[in-house]
Parts: sequence; C-alpha cells; structure tokens
Amino acid sequence: MLGAPSYERDRCVTGIRGLDEILRGGIPYGSAILVSGTCGSGKTTLGMEFLMNGARSGEACAHFSATEPSVKLLENVRQFSFFDMSAVDQGLINVFDMDVLFSWLGLDKSTFNLDDIDAMVKAITDIVNTIGVTRLVIDSVTSLCYKVPNEQLIRDFLFKLGKSLSTLGCTTLLIAEITSVGGTAHRSAFGVEEAIADGIIVLGDVERMGHLLRYLQVVKMRGTDHSRAKYALELTRSGVMLTPMLKWGVSD
Amino acid sequence: MSINFDSEDEEYYGDMGSIGSVKFDRILTGTPHNTGSIPRGFSILASGNAGAGMDLFAKQFASVAEDPENTILISTSETSNEILSVYRKYDWPTDIRVRTMGEEYNTEVLTRELAASRYRIEGFTLSDIQKLAQTRFVEQKNHDFLTDLATQVTSLGPYFRAVIDSLDFFYSRFDPARVTSMLRIMQAHAQRNRGLLLLTVSDQAVEKSTERELMAICDIVMEFEVGMRGSDFDTRMVIRRFRNAPENLAFITFRVTPEEAITPETVERVA
Amino acid sequence: MIEYDAGIAEQLSQVTTTSSVQVRVGTSNSEMVLASVLQPLIQGFGMGGVYITASKTAPNVIEMMNTIGLDVSPIHFIDCVSPGILGGTQNPYANIGYVDSPIMLESMLLRSLHYLENSGSQQNFVILDSVNALSIYNEERILAEYLHTFINTCQNRQILSLIVNVPDQTPAGVLANMDLYCSDLIDRGQVVIN
Repeated sequence: MLGAPSYERDRCVTGIRGLDEILRGGIPYGSAILVSGTCGSGKTTLGMEFLMNGARSGEACAHFSATEPSVKLLENVRQFSFFDMSAVDQGLINVFDMDVLFSWLGLDKSTFNLDDIDAMVKAITDIVNTIGVTRLVIDSVTSLCYKVPNEQLIRDFLFKLGKSLSTLGCTTLLIAEITSVGGTAHRSAFGVEEAIADGIIVLGDVERMGHLLRYLQVVKMRGTDHSRAKYALELTRSGVMLTPMLKWGVSD
Repeated sequence: MSINFDSEDEEYYGDMGSIGSVKFDRILTGTPHNTGSIPRGFSILASGNAGAGMDLFAKQFASVAEDPENTILISTSETSNEILSVYRKYDWPTDIRVRTMGEEYNTEVLTRELAASRYRIEGFTLSDIQKLAQTRFVEQKNHDFLTDLATQVTSLGPYFRAVIDSLDFFYSRFDPARVTSMLRIMQAHAQRNRGLLLLTVSDQAVEKSTERELMAICDIVMEFEVGMRGSDFDTRMVIRRFRNAPENLAFITFRVTPEEAITPETVERVA
Repeated sequence: MIEYDAGIAEQLSQVTTTSSVQVRVGTSNSEMVLASVLQPLIQGFGMGGVYITASKTAPNVIEMMNTIGLDVSPIHFIDCVSPGILGGTQNPYANIGYVDSPIMLESMLLRSLHYLENSGSQQNFVILDSVNALSIYNEERILAEYLHTFINTCQNRQILSLIVNVPDQTPAGVLANMDLYCSDLIDRGQVVIN
C-alpha cells in the first residue's frame, strides 16, 4: 500500500541567520507567531530584520508600533547594517504609529469595548489587504491588550486578528512583553496570547556567573517540526545571530 | 501684588455695578438711587431649570457693558447669530466680546467624529494608508476649552464684566474638581480687579457637593424658578445669598417684556 | 629581523580551511609561536581572520606583533580582557571588538562569525588564545563543550580554527577533547633547554 504523500507547508523564510534552520526552513505562511520577550531581549530588532528581509525580496511589509514612536524606532534601527531606510521611503516597509491610527478611528481612550476591538481589527486588516502586506509586525500586542478589559475580549481580539491575517496570507509576528519572574519567564502577559498564536518564540536572558546572555527558544510552531533547544542570541550590527547555547552554561 | 486703580476709573465705575437694568437694581437693593446693585469684585451664581430665564438674564447682565472691550459673554449653547438677534431685539449694544465655545467645540469634535466614523465604516483608501504611514504624530489633541475659558476671563482688566452661560458644558466634559478650581481662579481675579463675574448652571447638572462648593465661591446666589399659576407661567428668582447684605435676600417675581427683557415685578424680602 | 619558525609555516601549508589545529605553546615561547602562525596565514596565504584573545588585551597583542615586525591590521580582534579593566577599551585601534567577559563563550563565536561574514575575504581563520585563559573563568565541562561546538562550527563554515594552549597547564579533560577533535597539531609546547 502506498503511503500518503508527505505535505510540506509553504514557508515564509525569515532570513534571520539560524532561525530558519531552527524552524526547518521558515515560518509556515499565514501564521501568527507570538514573539515573547523580556525587555532588551531583541524582539524589536528581530521583527525589523524579518520585515527588511521581506522587503529585499519585494514583499510589502508593515510595522505597527504601539510601544515607541516610529520616529524613534526608525532612528534606533538605522544603526543596523541590515536596515535600509529606502525600503521605508519606497513604501516596501510601511511603519504606522498605533496612537495615530487610534486617533483617526476615534479610539483614543483607555479601554476598548467590542466595537472598538472590531474597528481596530478591521483597520489593520484593511491596511494589510489594500497594500498586499505579506509580512506584518505588531509591536507590541501586549500594549494593545492592556486596553482590553477582560480575558475573553483579549481572546476574541487575538482570534479575529489572527484569522483575518491568515486568510490574507500574511505572516505576522506579534511582539509580546513579558516579565521574568523568579528566573522563569512567562510566555505572555495575559496568558491567552500563547493559546491563540500559531507559534511562540521566546526571547529572554540567562544568567551565567552574573552576566546576562540573550537567548531565543522556539516553544511552539504549528505546521512544522522545529528545534526546541535554547540558542544564544547576539545582536550584531548586521542583525540577529544565533548559535546553540552551551548546555552546561545555563544556571536554573 | 496690589492693583493700582485709575482714579478716573474709580470715579466712573464706582463701587457698584448694574445687574442689568435700573429697575432691577432698585428692587434688589431697595434704594431709589441709580447706583447699581452688585458690589464691584463680586461673583454671582445663577442656577435653575431650563426655561426659567437664566440665559436671558445672562445676556442682560452682559448688556450693561460699561466698557464693551472689557466685557465678555461666553456662551456654550447658542450660536453668535442667536445671541446677536437677542441683543438687537432689546436694542442692547452689540459691540461686546462674545465667545461661542459650544459652537466651536461642536465644530471641532463633530468633524473629528465624522472622519473616524467614515474610516470605521468605509475603511481606508490607499491614499489614506499612505498618509497614515507618513503621519508620525497625533494631530493636536482636544482643544482645552476649560483652560481657554480661564484665560479669557483672567485676561480682562480692572472693572471687567464677564458672563459664563453655562457651566453645564464644562462640568459634563471635564473633571469637576478641575472646573471648580478654575472658577476659584476666575473669582479671585474678579475680586482683585473689581470685576463682575456671572456664572449660570442648571439644577441637576452638578453633584450636590459641587453645588455647595459653587455657592461658597460666589458672593451672590440666585435661583431661578418657573411654575404654573393657573394657566400662566410664574417666574421668579430667589436671592439665597448676598454677601455682607442679608437684607437683599428676597423672592423676586419677574416677567419678560419686549422693552426691558427681564423685568422684576414684586419683591418679598426674607430678612 | 626576527626569524619565524619555518616548520610552522610548512605545517600550515598542508592544512585546509576545514582543519582545526591545536597549537601548543610553552610559557616562554608563546609570542614567537603565535607570530609564526599568523605570519603565513596573513601574509603568506592572504587569509582574513579573527583573533580571539582571552589571555592578553588586544592592544597588547597588536603591539607585541608590531614589535616583532608583523602587521596584524588586516585581521580583527575579539578582546575578552579589556572590558574587565577600567578604561581598557580606550585605544586607537579600529580592528578590535569587545566581549564583556571570557564566560560569554557563545558571543565570542558569534562575533567572530559576524566579522568574517562581512570581511569579504575568501578564506578565513579564527585563532583562540587561549584555552588556559578561558579555563580560569569557565568550568572544564563547559569549556570542553564549547571547544567541541567551536571546532565543528568552524569546520562546517570552512573556517580554519586554531586553538592555542599551554598543555601542561590545560585541564586533562579539555586536552583530551582537543586531541580528539582537532585534525592537526602544532606542538611547540615543551621548551627545549640546551
């Protein structure tokens, strides 16, 4: 009896050295991946490198910035040699400030109701659909969820957003901020984001003899095999670099 | 810092200002002299229900306008044309300063809400998205009308006359504590500059505690009432407080006439 | 004019970019041996390279090589020592990068790879000076693991790796690992007393 042909999902190649190997080729297309990390762990840089690599191959990319003004974001990312400002100038990478978007939608308030959430999801989806975005970063989804008053609404919000973006074939990185508690990082601020996301990439710090070393670990990735090892992450001028973390070098 | 008042101004303005008409002044103070009834530096609170005549009283108070340049009527519910038509009807001076904050607010807010509504229902066009991607800062936030109000009043010079009709607008949009704080600033300005400040507010527009605070800030408190007597409307004002002149506490019935607007008819003193 | 060790140059001419070379030095001849290793690689074969120094500060190494007469400006240094000295990173050399501490082993490797990717040279080497210095800060087992990873990573990327050690001061387990995983040996570890 013939075995069923093996099915390989199409991949969004991140272009980030080491990460595509960890993911056995890249992120499955249309996935919403939670990139969850403590402060200074390299989430924003990883997100921008992901977009820049897409822009280089002619993909339309978008970045929604909710935690820092886009002016500051672009100023900080320009120090990296992987980043080319002309991609922003030419509209290959579209950078949006969430507070400006909220202001345009009449959402400049501290708490969102269901209508507001629908408006926000619709706006993001509209933008993605209109300009044909195939790579999207929302930085950070945590600060958006702070405006949502309960867990159920957060779940609804993330589910609707993920579903809409997936339908449009857009691969999304949802940046999430977490705090490190007792040496073990939680994977999401509200606990629901990780359940909804198609994948979870955790960035954090490991302490070795008083020094903090950055690491990356793929905890979950639907639709593909992946490495679950911890990888040391270095932020170099040319972007993120990864290498397996020494097993004896991790103090719990 | 004390203010040096011009001696000519002192002579011209005197110690008292008119409430809006000579007849009203005489009935209020019970004196036949034409010297005004409101001590310079006083703040007046006029409260009551809709239709009780407060907004007409406010316009009439402003119409005295000893110095039109130094007189301001701030309206939060009427347009400039509506105010102008009332002033023309009663042949009051039309060169006083008028600020229609309600009109300005509506224009600003409604424009913004309309745009937001369009984006939410119709979505973004490509040019909207391109503009959004290039917009790095939120446009000027809501104009702070409360600060603007205080600035308008406190910029007036000695012997000014200012009317705010009404405080409902501010109490419903801003933190009440902040509104009351601004009113204290304006009251102090009136006191130091021998100005006259009239504030109107509807019953039920503010909490009881805020109402008590307003009554404590203002030197004169008037309550406008309208009732039915048979088939006629019966309008009256109750002078509940008159600092340093309890003899002026009274129930005053009035009617609105085409010649003199609010015209007092009878007075029944309390003290 | 000093005389480089021609035997070292001869040995190096036999290795490839997938080789990993254990370089044993003695306590009194390390400078000459290192210079004799670098000279053919930089000037003879025109290779690009990274010098990871955990034993001395990079300016110290550069000046030492300059004194010997070897220009090391074409290669890049990863200095793990200077950040531990107050004011240590203030120096006029543009070809030095820093890693905060010799315990940040992965950073050394990644920064080396980063530099070599951007260097533009076709053939590259990485020299690790030295295992003994690293063993001051790192336990034996992590050091053994690191060397294994280091050697394999370099081989995989066709980078010639050279690992310097003073054998009689190297932990036995680490030495045994190097003997096992390194493809070549340059042994100048014993000082010959005439």
